[in-house]
Amino acid sequence: MAEMKKAEPPKDVSQYKGIMVYLDSFEGKLTRAAHEMIGVGRKMADKVKEPCIGVVIGDKVDSMADDAGKYGCDEVYGFESHDLSMYRSRPFTDILSSMVFEKKPNILIVPGTKNGRDLAARTAVRVQSGLTADCMEIDVEPETDILIARRPDYGDSTMSEIRCEKHRPQMATSRPGTFDLPPYDEKRSFKKEIRKVELKKDQLREEILSFKPKGGEDITVSKVLVSGGLGMGNADGLKLIEQLASIMGGSYGVTRPVADLGWAPRDHQVGQTGKIVRPDLYIAAGISGKPQHIVGMMDSKTVIAVNKDPDAEITRYSDYVINGDLYEILPVFIEELKKRKKMKDKN
Amino acid sequence: MIELALHLVVLIKVVPDGKEVFVDPVTFTLNRSMATNIINPADENALEAALQIKDQTDAKVTVMTMAPPFAEPFLMECMSRGADEAVLISDRAVAGSDTYPTSLTVAAAIKKMGDVDIVFAGEKTSDSSTGHVGPGVAEFIGAELASYSRKVTYENGYVTAERELENGIEEVRIPTPAVVTILTDSNDPRRATLRKKIDAMKRGIITWSLADINIPADWVGLRSSPTVVKKMLPFPRKDRKGEKIEKEKIPELIDNLVKSGVIRVEAE
Repeated sequence: MAEMKKAEPPKDVSQYKGIMVYLDSFEGKLTRAAHEMIGVGRKMADKVKEPCIGVVIGDKVDSMADDAGKYGCDEVYGFESHDLSMYRSRPFTDILSSMVFEKKPNILIVPGTKNGRDLAARTAVRVQSGLTADCMEIDVEPETDILIARRPDYGDSTMSEIRCEKHRPQMATSRPGTFDLPPYDEKRSFKKEIRKVELKKDQLREEILSFKPKGGEDITVSKVLVSGGLGMGNADGLKLIEQLASIMGGSYGVTRPVADLGWAPRDHQVGQTGKIVRPDLYIAAGISGKPQHIVGMMDSKTVIAVNKDPDAEITRYSDYVINGDLYEILPVFIEELKKRKKMKDKN
Repeated sequence: MIELALHLVVLIKVVPDGKEVFVDPVTFTLNRSMATNIINPADENALEAALQIKDQTDAKVTVMTMAPPFAEPFLMECMSRGADEAVLISDRAVAGSDTYPTSLTVAAAIKKMGDVDIVFAGEKTSDSSTGHVGPGVAEFIGAELASYSRKVTYENGYVTAERELENGIEEVRIPTPAVVTILTDSNDPRRATLRKKIDAMKRGIITWSLADINIPADWVGLRSSPTVVKKMLPFPRKDRKGEKIEKEKIPELIDNLVKSGVIRVEAE
């Protein structure tokens, strides 16, 4: 529980050193988002020549701590208890905050998964510091040790640069998929410390009754995505999108307005309020390219835009632009791909 | 023992309507200044979640926002849908507050009420989209927290909530006092009724200043916010060549994508 008072900055910020990375996990494994954040932390640590400190909390954390070290943490602190096999807001906040008080990191970055965002928001209040959510860029200024956190402003085609100059640690989250994975080095040396935790009853008031894994496909792991926007005109357009996606062994995505209209489930929504994807191929059909959507797909390897408007914003983020009605263009793709499949069959 | 009515508080924020944005003809940027205001969509779901508990249990629902007086009609709208009471925290000193002082101020108002069992908030706002205030309030008032929830029920001092996570649905049970943040679209918000609207007009809105909730003016506002917006930058552009492809050249494009391994054509 945080004290009811204003956020007091520390008198001497120079005592705060190092980049702390909270390592989000699921079923005993670090999440992709956690790996991404190790990469971000590692880069900043190299820039300011300070350690990258990983914190992992769970039931059994040893192999996750090793994983974090091999991906780039210099020091990894693991907190272990049978009561911590799944995320619980209060004890996780207690542990992460205690690590902040103990290690005094200059920067604390947290994967922007739902549990990570929950944890970061509480921890920022507990440690009386500033937090910037959904950063697209996270960097540090070596001269000042100041965190540069940039996040998009929706509705406007701008990004805000947000700083937390007086309070420590300077905190940020980023949505999963925002960054590339760092390199893995089996031989990397790092310091590991596993601590057993005894939790008090009042830390465990939250009871997890059940967990049902979500069925359906996870569009963030698809190599090929075909997405439809309002240019589809109606819910039936999705059939064409799905057909093209499935012929390439990929999945389909949609924009926020399409999900808002109920034409497709939210799990398939690409963008700031949906998923951030980075497939090998992204086909944007009937999508104008609002920042809200661009954020979710701009790091795809190859982007093809299919749009009636040759100057639609999406074309600026596309490698190839096909000007035309998606109902005329996508069937050409489908036919051509079918032909090639048949040829493969014959061979 | 006398069973007291539950006290549910719903936090709302008035935001610009994201659907109504206009392209500025001179700068080609999107302009929100002409947009009308709405209740943040997730907050409408939060209100509905609270009202559904009130349908089942003896409960009082208070809707609260921290905003200038322009938010009053939106609080009235919430009462017209079934909230019993509306509180507007309005004070010039809060202008420019980031999520820390905002959470602190809201938490102070909840503490002043003294008897709050469950606080409902939207998972995030559609304008700034941080989702920090709900968890921040939980931290300040020392409540349990169930974030990103849909389907919330109450029984004998416990809240059960389904948290929708990236990889599954987690059902949690937490004792009150509790904070729950509610997912956008997780329910179907009810409409206002004329009768409730008339009642709401009779009751009016309670306005509190910072002094009313014992928050010193220098604890809030831009100066007491840990984060500052340093500058605005153009939205990053990924330089892509945007090569125009005629419809007739699509087969060629596909060939190239297959050759470079971007598309894999497997036999059926």
